[in-house]
Amino acid sequence: MKRKKNSSEVDRRAFLKNTSVAAFIAMMGGVELAAPGAADTNQPAAAAADAPLTVIPALPAVNFGVIGAGVWGRKIITTLTLLKNDPQYKNTEVVAIAETYAAWLTRAFTYAPKAELFANYKQLLAKPEVQAVVVATPTHQHRDIVLDALAAGKHVYCEAPLANTIADAKDIARAAQKAFKQVFQAGLQDRSHPHRHFLAPFLRAGALGRNVLVRAQSHKKGTWARTATTPARTAELNWRLQKALSTGLMGEACIQRLDAVTWFLGGPRLGGRPNFVTGFSSSVLENAGLEVPDTVQCVFEFPEGPNAPVRFLCDATLCNSFDSDYEMYYGTDSAILMQPGNDARDSKAWMFKEVDGAFWGWEGYARQDAFGAETGISLVADASKQTALKKNDPGASAPTITEPIQYALQSFMANAGAIGGAVKDYEELFGAGDTADYRSNLAAARKLTLSQHPAAGWEEGLEATVLAIKANEAALLKQKLELKNEFFEL
Amino acid sequence: MKKTTDNPAACLLVAALLLAGSAALRAADLPHVRYQAQSTNTTVTIQGTSTFHDWDMKGPSIGGYLEFPAGVNNFDTNQATLPGLKDGLLPVTGRASILVRTIHSQVEHLPEVMDGLMQDAMKQTNFPVIMYQVKELKLQQPRAAGQPFVFDAKGDLAIAGVTNTVSFPVTIVPLDKTKIKISGTAKLKMTDYKVEPPAPNILGLGLMKCGDDVIIKFDWTLMQTAPAAP
Repeated sequence: MKRKKNSSEVDRRAFLKNTSVAAFIAMMGGVELAAPGAADTNQPAAAAADAPLTVIPALPAVNFGVIGAGVWGRKIITTLTLLKNDPQYKNTEVVAIAETYAAWLTRAFTYAPKAELFANYKQLLAKPEVQAVVVATPTHQHRDIVLDALAAGKHVYCEAPLANTIADAKDIARAAQKAFKQVFQAGLQDRSHPHRHFLAPFLRAGALGRNVLVRAQSHKKGTWARTATTPARTAELNWRLQKALSTGLMGEACIQRLDAVTWFLGGPRLGGRPNFVTGFSSSVLENAGLEVPDTVQCVFEFPEGPNAPVRFLCDATLCNSFDSDYEMYYGTDSAILMQPGNDARDSKAWMFKEVDGAFWGWEGYARQDAFGAETGISLVADASKQTALKKNDPGASAPTITEPIQYALQSFMANAGAIGGAVKDYEELFGAGDTADYRSNLAAARKLTLSQHPAAGWEEGLEATVLAIKANEAALLKQKLELKNEFFEL
Repeated sequence: MKKTTDNPAACLLVAALLLAGSAALRAADLPHVRYQAQSTNTTVTIQGTSTFHDWDMKGPSIGGYLEFPAGVNNFDTNQATLPGLKDGLLPVTGRASILVRTIHSQVEHLPEVMDGLMQDAMKQTNFPVIMYQVKELKLQQPRAAGQPFVFDAKGDLAIAGVTNTVSFPVTIVPLDKTKIKISGTAKLKMTDYKVEPPAPNILGLGLMKCGDDVIIKFDWTLMQTAPAAP
């Protein structure tokens, strides 16, 4: 069902793209471009001339290998396979999957029937046709796999957190920094989400007034405990519940929120890197007696600068699912609620104005939704009242219902193809030596492709991973910890 | 023969001629400097016309190299002349290459479609590289002191499997101690290279036929990479 929805969504996007071009053509006089060769060459010339141009340029082909075929790994394989339904991403192919657990490997194969299967990831990395790999293994296994993948010349998408220790995360960041011919993308999905890029400048333009407080949560009802047929497999499955291996709820549930909030507050260059974190934790339900608590709260403080004295409260629990995941930015003029897209829901946002908040003008034309006693002004690109009048579905004004992971993988596919192409072009013309000119050329290519397909790199990955690791540590210790700059520096 | 042998002056003359001949033989092996193409500060633009509007395509990279006689001192404009210059001709070897797939249309909408049309017209699959082999650089005279060196470049240009000899002016300026920039403009006809000018069909308005004439403008940065050979 889910897949069907995505599939139709891709069609809708393609349709919108086509209609935009059609609108442009109509402005030029209601004509449509038709290229010779775009039509079926077997058709008579007159018929070919009348055929409408339906060319949607495809991005360069990228062959993927997926390492780790657990629940999330299979989700990634499914998403990559579905990307092919979009004409722009039709050259995406999952050609190899590596997974140590045979049953999962077999299950993953049903989503990517063209893939070669491997029990050892090193066999996958040895395949020259694999150009890019997605690492979706347990967090503590990322380091060795990512380092091997980068050494093998592959583009790498590494799920977040990058690692369960700061040392490992830095090793990954260093290797990614060194691999200037490759793309390294951290699995921070909001960085690729168009809605987030629509909201970021809006927030920074002063819509909140003066920043007061930020609150984020990740609430779910369930347990991380898994059972298997053997004690060894059970232990393997329950890595999240082992203190030595896990980054806890702050890492495994909240890292997307930690990244999004610190990004929106300016990131490390603009005072958005907190300098202290205070944590609390408790075990309420099934996890009682296990090493990792099922409920945590962390408070991040920011140094002197644009965000001081703002505090960022982040909490997560596996004991109550109310309101799921969201971020709330509170300011003196308004509050902004951001609901990240999880599962089949897409990213949405609303602004709640204070009565004495500045009137910008556009709010009068925006669609408004009721939230109990409050009224939220919808913050999406096409959320006008006219749009709402045409649609009964209150969520229909969202620009898309594409899942965030799809945007992230689209960016990875596009950037891997672009950088792979730039490497090929450069080496064909100038040779393969590591020169300043080569690095400069690829840096320009990287900047260009990232401007079109934004994504988190190793810097953002390291930043969020360190925050998650230290927040988890603070929660376990129930202490206030300093977030020293040296934690984030290579 | 004998007379000549007995004449010391004649012997000296012969020896001098032999030495001169030897020197002439080595002229082709004169110490030289090599300049390697750089991707930074390099662009190539192709401008054309059509029945609707003018168009242009841009490429970011020109590969290749050039070799000049040693001592050209990076084409410093303070030099009165250049080493190795004879009858206005500067000895040079080298080539420039452009990958057809790296040249992209600058239209705002569906540039990839235009790229595809151009690549098909240029038979990109079979001839992926535009190649220019330089044969001659003739310094334009007179040249005022302090002015950049301007040459008439002559060489073989291969496009889509057809090679023609072309001439066009180029200006060489130093960028720093090791880098030079060569700028030039060449006017060509597509049909001279058996390239059929693209003619996409605009429904309702008929063919948008591209003109045969194109102008290629380029800025090519090269960096001195090897010391003068012994």
